[in-house]
Amino acid sequence: LPTSMEPIPSKPLFYDLALNFVEFPDLSEKLEGAQKSKQGAGISGFVKGLWGWGKK
Amino acid sequence: MGEPNPKEKAISQFYVELNKFGQNSEYERALKTANKIIGIAPHDGSAFQCKIVCLIQLNRFEEAIQLLNKKAEFASSLIFEKAYCHYRINQHEEALKVIEKSSEVDDNRIKELKAQVLYRLEKYDDASKLYQDILKNSDDDYEDERNTNLSATLLYSKESSVNI
Repeated sequence: LPTSMEPIPSKPLFYDLALNFVEFPDLSEKLEGAQKSKQGAGISGFVKGLWGWGKK
Repeated sequence: MGEPNPKEKAISQFYVELNKFGQNSEYERALKTANKIIGIAPHDGSAFQCKIVCLIQLNRFEEAIQLLNKKAEFASSLIFEKAYCHYRINQHEEALKVIEKSSEVDDNRIKELKAQVLYRLEKYDDASKLYQDILKNSDDDYEDERNTNLSATLLYSKESSVNI
């Protein structure tokens, strides 16, 4: 007698969404520095120093 | 402050490069540029973070973990990245430990990763609760995928097994 077929659950889909959040930090401040240094530093160096690593 | 010195100028130029490579997902090249910045400014946290992101995108997880363990000064702000590395090399318990040590448990990225770790640890009830919380509090393009993940947790979770 053949054994009857039985349904088995399929492996569900599961996405790695966290990978989408592995991204560079916001570099706009660093890039601003590059633009301003071309025009001469002025107060930007001071401001950069003030905001720069304080976020750590 | 006056004129930026040559060091600062060089760093700025490297950041322009780094940003471009990052946007184009050219992580081999980005890694080289990040290393150049770190060579000049070893305490630059942004360059270090970019380097870690590059290593992750290049699937070099063990290297990233080693580096994070060596540089304690930056590691505290890169909890998510460190936990993610452990997750990808199937060290799920370790990933959970790193996450639970973090003070940023409310961070959406951390929650997302934690839900995935809980799923791999077969803690399906906890994972499904967390997904329901994330779905309520997030607003991005990944809602469909997140619902798919929630369905997967519900499929395995004890609470729902009676209904299947």
